[in-house]
Amino acid sequence: MITVNPKANEVAAPLDLNNLTPEQTALEIENLNLFYGEKQALNNISMKIPKGQVTAFIGPSGCGKSTLLRCINRMNDLVDTCSIQGDINLNGENIYGKHVDVAALRRKVGMVFQRPNPFPKSIYENVVYGLRITGEKNRRVLDEAVERSLKAAALWEEVKDRLHDSALGLSGGQQQRLVIARAIAIEPEVLLLDEPTSALDPISTLTIEELINDLKKQFTVVIVTHNMQQAARVSDQTAFMYMGDLIEYSDTNTLFTTPAKKKTEDYITGRYG
Amino acid sequence: MKDWFKTGSPWVWLSAGGVSLSLISVVGLLWLIASNGLSYFWPSQVHQFNMVDEKGQKSVVIGEIYDRERIPASQLAHRDLGVEIEGDTIERLLIKTGNRELVSLDFRWILGPQITEQSLPEDIAIVERRSNGNFYGFLEQIILDGEVVDNSRLDELLDRVNEFQEQIRELQQVDIGAINYNLERLRLRERKHVIDGTLTDEVKRDLEAQTQALKEEYQVLEKDLTALRDQVSRDQIVMRAMGGEKVTINFEQIIKVTFNNQLGFFGKVAVFFDQSIGFIFDEPREANTEGGVFPAIFGTVLMVLLMTVIVAPFGVIAAIYLHEYAGKNAFTKLIRIAVINLAGVPSIVYGVFGLGFFVYMVGGNLDRLFYPETLPSPTFGTPGVLWSALTLAILTLPVVIVSTEEGLARIPAAMRHGSLALGATKAETLWRIILPIASPAIMTGIILAIARAAGEVAPLMLVGVVKMAPTLPLDGNFPFLHLERKFMHLGFHIYDVGFQSPNVEAARPLVYATALLLVTIIIGLNMTAVNIRNKLREKYRALEH
Repeated sequence: MITVNPKANEVAAPLDLNNLTPEQTALEIENLNLFYGEKQALNNISMKIPKGQVTAFIGPSGCGKSTLLRCINRMNDLVDTCSIQGDINLNGENIYGKHVDVAALRRKVGMVFQRPNPFPKSIYENVVYGLRITGEKNRRVLDEAVERSLKAAALWEEVKDRLHDSALGLSGGQQQRLVIARAIAIEPEVLLLDEPTSALDPISTLTIEELINDLKKQFTVVIVTHNMQQAARVSDQTAFMYMGDLIEYSDTNTLFTTPAKKKTEDYITGRYG
Repeated sequence: MKDWFKTGSPWVWLSAGGVSLSLISVVGLLWLIASNGLSYFWPSQVHQFNMVDEKGQKSVVIGEIYDRERIPASQLAHRDLGVEIEGDTIERLLIKTGNRELVSLDFRWILGPQITEQSLPEDIAIVERRSNGNFYGFLEQIILDGEVVDNSRLDELLDRVNEFQEQIRELQQVDIGAINYNLERLRLRERKHVIDGTLTDEVKRDLEAQTQALKEEYQVLEKDLTALRDQVSRDQIVMRAMGGEKVTINFEQIIKVTFNNQLGFFGKVAVFFDQSIGFIFDEPREANTEGGVFPAIFGTVLMVLLMTVIVAPFGVIAAIYLHEYAGKNAFTKLIRIAVINLAGVPSIVYGVFGLGFFVYMVGGNLDRLFYPETLPSPTFGTPGVLWSALTLAILTLPVVIVSTEEGLARIPAAMRHGSLALGATKAETLWRIILPIASPAIMTGIILAIARAAGEVAPLMLVGVVKMAPTLPLDGNFPFLHLERKFMHLGFHIYDVGFQSPNVEAARPLVYATALLLVTIIIGLNMTAVNIRNKLREKYRALEH
């Protein structure tokens, strides 16, 4: 049976996801359609993602959950054949608007990928990469950012004595936390996690899950996972997607205990997917 | 048998055989070049042969044995050798006898049966001279200021003369060279003023004053030079040649005198190293058949380095555009195929292109725009080291482009995405992440480019290489690096010495020695680049899964 993280529900009483006030909303997705060439991958998705909470996207492989996540920081722009209709509003501004600076958007919406992808640089340089891009040169500012981000990513104690060693010498779990530290060093508003633990061992997974719980104090977290237990453990809201459709979206407790749709129930009870 | 085939071991044997065959041919090639080349520096013994010819006349031949071969006796059947021949072959020896002022040929064949006695007299001297090649003979007298002195003072006197020679060289090439260079520049400045119509009396006076000053300086130096020349031409030695003729050689002509037959093993080793170093650091003499190859080494290395400096940025930029920015369409594919095919164009075609485009068109226009005062004699509108480097850069461009593109394609997409997701633009990602990771691949391209360019000779013959360059492209006169100058190249030197020199026999060991040097230099350049690449690889090792 699936156990729901009790803490996640104690902190915030379930929100009415259909009637969030603008202050409570981090992201608002409106009638989003996405095509890869001729093929439609997302069908008319609309949802509001609340601020300061963890929202999980679950669903079987190929359901479009990662694609939806990548729409939020426009990583899909890198796919030549991809075309998008609809809006995604971040703080009331459409990120697909005409004069949007994509690089600036990505500084506001950080992302962590499935496999840890540290740069072949030192641990220190990995963390300050985003700051260097913005032109930050002050040594003190950089040092502070490194310490703050590594502490927030629960990695500081392990690496504080070898900040200038290559990041490639870290273990997989450490690398993934380093990548998270790198993403939060530039203080984004939203943090997107694309199956962040699928390439890690159980102990590293646990560390990252605990970390996610801490991160939502500062950031809005959106996580894609194929692991339902994980979604139940870490998230406040869960969206179930299937074949490019958003089937059901509600607070995690409700979705896992009393799903409204038959498809959701079939999926979470393991009948397919 | 069938089972044996199934195990796959025939293929293992076949491939292992292929590898060993390649290894053997590489080692064999190096061994052949090295043994033939290095023997050139090993001091050989000087033999004295007492001969008797068919008419019963006795003679003496002194020289180094260069070669020996057996010829069928029937070939000489028409000649009565005056001696009994055993067997049906006759041995004959190729002897380097030197002494060009007495006999016009350096070499002569002697027949084995005609030798009555062969010995190694200890007091045969080899006199290495600045012109006319070696002299073999016995030291008779040393004449100092017209007076005969003791023969034991030879070394002391030679040291003295060599010191003066060094001073003369310095004076001629550096000091007087600089004055001539500056005089030429003054002349050109005056001409430029004439062409521009700005030659006022004031300017003219100024230029004349400067010219006058330089000329006075020149006269002082010339006086020094004459004094030095007098010093070196003061003394003479008298040598007795193999026929008994006495020959007087001025000390000015002598580079060194050695008594090879007196040398022990360590003495020979010392001479060997002395000769090798001389070969590397001296300038060529006697139409390149004697002396060293320093200008050729210098020209080869300078040209290759220039080429690398030109081709690396161009190749990398082109590859980045093709791989990162150009649309993925048929036109890009066509360009890529064209680039790859460029690598297959024969190098002489690049030479023709370089001559037509760089030398005549670009160089000619540069001359018209910037050097009108020297016309009609061209500055850049003539083959030179810059045009050679550019031509070879175009020749090696495809190599750099292809390997850089391969390197870019190998970089995991996660690296790009990681950087882009942190708010970096595409250009920032390229500069900070992609290029450093691709640097080993770029180095591979540069290594291949160097390997190809250092060995090319054919196109260079059209765009800058000469048999004998009077000055190096790098000297002490402003602007120090003279890119318009022609240069010497080891590859061309090999061809020139081996096939264009008046004395092919004498030049053959020199060809091997030069080839060995060329191989060594190319290996040296490559190893440097390989080292840099390995360091870079080490840094990004974990990424190459």
